[in-house]
Amino acid sequence: MRRYVSGVALMITCYLANGKFKTETYQDFEEIAREVNTGREVLAELPLDAIIKILDALGKKILKNPEVNTLPGVSYISLWLRRENLDRICRINYADKLYLGGFCKNETHFRMMAQPRGIVCHWIAANMPTLGFFSIVQAVLSKNGSIVKMPTEYVPLILSLLRELPAISVDYEGRTYTGKSILGAIALVTFEGKSADASEKFSLAADCRIIFGGSGAVRAIARLPCRDHCETIIFGPKYSFAIFDREYIESEVFKKSLDLFVRDVAVFNQMACSSPHVLFLEKSRYPVDEIVSWLHDAFERLPAALRTQEISTSLSARIINARATYLLSDGKNCVASRDLGWTILFDQETCLEEPIQGKCIFTKEINTVDEVIPLVNHKIQTISVGILDPSKREDFARQVTSRGADRIVIPGTMHDFTLPWDGIMTLNRLVRWVVLRDN
Amino acid sequence: MPETGPDIAQEAVTRDKLLARAPYSLEDRQKNECLIRIIREQLKVARCNNRYIDHYFSRQGIDIDALLRPEDVPYIPVQMFKHFDLRTCPEQEVAKVLQSSGTTGGTPSRIPLDKSTTLNQIKALKTILSDYLGKNRKIFLVIDHEGINRPEMAFSARTAGVRGLSIYAKKTFYLLREEEGKLVLNMPVIRDIVENYSHEDVYAFGFTYIIWTVFFEQLKKEGIRFSFDKFTLFHSGGWKKMKDLAVSKETFSATIAGVFGTGSGNILDFYGMAEQTGIIFVDCACGNKHVPAFSQVIIRDPFTMEPCDPGKTGLIEVMSILADSYYDQAVLTEDLGMLIGVDDCPCGRMGKYFRFVSRIEKAEIRGCGDTFRESR
Repeated sequence: MRRYVSGVALMITCYLANGKFKTETYQDFEEIAREVNTGREVLAELPLDAIIKILDALGKKILKNPEVNTLPGVSYISLWLRRENLDRICRINYADKLYLGGFCKNETHFRMMAQPRGIVCHWIAANMPTLGFFSIVQAVLSKNGSIVKMPTEYVPLILSLLRELPAISVDYEGRTYTGKSILGAIALVTFEGKSADASEKFSLAADCRIIFGGSGAVRAIARLPCRDHCETIIFGPKYSFAIFDREYIESEVFKKSLDLFVRDVAVFNQMACSSPHVLFLEKSRYPVDEIVSWLHDAFERLPAALRTQEISTSLSARIINARATYLLSDGKNCVASRDLGWTILFDQETCLEEPIQGKCIFTKEINTVDEVIPLVNHKIQTISVGILDPSKREDFARQVTSRGADRIVIPGTMHDFTLPWDGIMTLNRLVRWVVLRDN
Repeated sequence: MPETGPDIAQEAVTRDKLLARAPYSLEDRQKNECLIRIIREQLKVARCNNRYIDHYFSRQGIDIDALLRPEDVPYIPVQMFKHFDLRTCPEQEVAKVLQSSGTTGGTPSRIPLDKSTTLNQIKALKTILSDYLGKNRKIFLVIDHEGINRPEMAFSARTAGVRGLSIYAKKTFYLLREEEGKLVLNMPVIRDIVENYSHEDVYAFGFTYIIWTVFFEQLKKEGIRFSFDKFTLFHSGGWKKMKDLAVSKETFSATIAGVFGTGSGNILDFYGMAEQTGIIFVDCACGNKHVPAFSQVIIRDPFTMEPCDPGKTGLIEVMSILADSYYDQAVLTEDLGMLIGVDDCPCGRMGKYFRFVSRIEKAEIRGCGDTFRESR
């Protein structure tokens, strides 16, 4: 029930529900959930290929919209929404897209179908403006309804992307489908995360919870009461780094790859779980000072929007202190921009370092890439690996993934949102696999 | 009386001469010329005597003789006093090491002091206070408990204030006492003050948050008010907590002035830190903090690190020429301030004047990027 209580602080602000972009306040999630449930039933009737066609059209449309196409991450969203990519994601997750449309025969004695879980409640972290959008699309591709708790500062961006949906219509197998059928299954809300009451109600509204966030947030949310059947998918705190071996450093690709690596550092201003914090360099014919000077140049070549990003005063202090520590210490050094735009901190200690963020990269010379393997644990998400020899690369990958790393990628692709993510096939987890045994 | 006069930059100015002057008598431009010459010489010694400082300069390619303005002097972040020995004199000359716990606890800053530095700090503080209190010693009221000044107590903003400001005291009274770990009114002393010292020349010091939440609250309950003929309160620190209580500086001054029976112009907030003992930046009647002749303040943009124009909030850097024993020539704080103007405060004091805005909020690392350590 929608309640407007004068003089009482209302706790939930809803910006989108029932396909309408309207800011309203609520005291619980009952009505929002009801509307999302109605919307998701409409969504469930859409063939998956029609949904993919609508999303593909959305990607093209947002790229043409001058109000949003210059915002960070939007051009990547457009690429990611391409039909071929979404097709691939669905095939990887469902084995066959037909499972989402009805019962399909397989090698067993019964037929199987992927049924949506129902309402997915998303807790979106505050580090990546576009994160909420990716989470919504995954719920859409599994035909679930979504109630998305967004960081307030990113609500306008996500709304501006979703606003393009109602005007989209696509033809599929002789019928016309519109983006409105998707929009109705999505609600966007904000509420004070510290409010135990609101958080509990939100959690209890979910048939599935997707939680993005740091350690404290993830633990607190995961502890909230939820329905017995509720599935919880956690994208928790992770750490990423890069490593290049001697052969790679001495190859022709190296200098170019430094530009790509620096982009990986700069995107999201190092606040994502896939952002590298340490660069390990195997000893090569180039002294580390020389490589640092190439890194320096690569940082200065960054496009202005990545080179100069707004930072909090708290982050300023962290950067200033890290720089001073490395400049004062024995056996360490620091090369940095005059402003706080980027920072290279280098020494010879083979270890991982606590993240600073704001484009602060710890650079360490090592004797061999094998020295890094023992440092890997389950907190490691992405390792950008520059190893040319395929068998050496695969051997390294096998060892670090067995210790806990999730993604072994090449420079410039650390943030590519590919599934599996954090070792999870998200769409697969967003559906229930049901069976029908025929007479 | 301290020496005044406009021609100081024409002569070879020594630190002693600057300390002997009226503290707010120099135009900013003149002061900068004097300071940079002195600082250059001090930096050369600092670099010779401390390998960390030598690293700091050489790694940044700093040529000391090429430093032409105070803002060119390399600043060291205040946190570094917790992690590095920033002593700049021979070890045998260190008379004591001041350990400051700060307001947030944790690892203390270590500040080595030799005799000359301590003397300079005392001289500097006397000069600053004389501008606000005049020449004569006065009754000193400490709005804290006596234990705060015990030698074994860790140095903190509270102890620094009490010890520093006591140099003008002819008699000291502690208005609070500790009872089972809590601060309560020291009633016998308060009665004595009310009965016997109301017509004396009195000054007081207290930690802002303690004055408000302990002293004022308990006085209100007891219905006690003072009525001094001549009274000045210096207070400092705790503004983060005061902000949480939604108490503005104006409200604090007006309310506390009422408690002491004085005008709010006599309630003076000041800014200072253990790493720059001897220098406090005290409010004038216009509410601006002034920078004395032997010191400088630069407000730096928190991204570009360039000096900010008046009216823009930035990181407060404090500079000083008082210390021979540690690097206090340029210390970058974790406080935010705003430059209000230069040489033209209506109060008549020359030099830069600024306002304290807040401490930097120590936010946790945001988002799903996190420590590499596995949780247990």
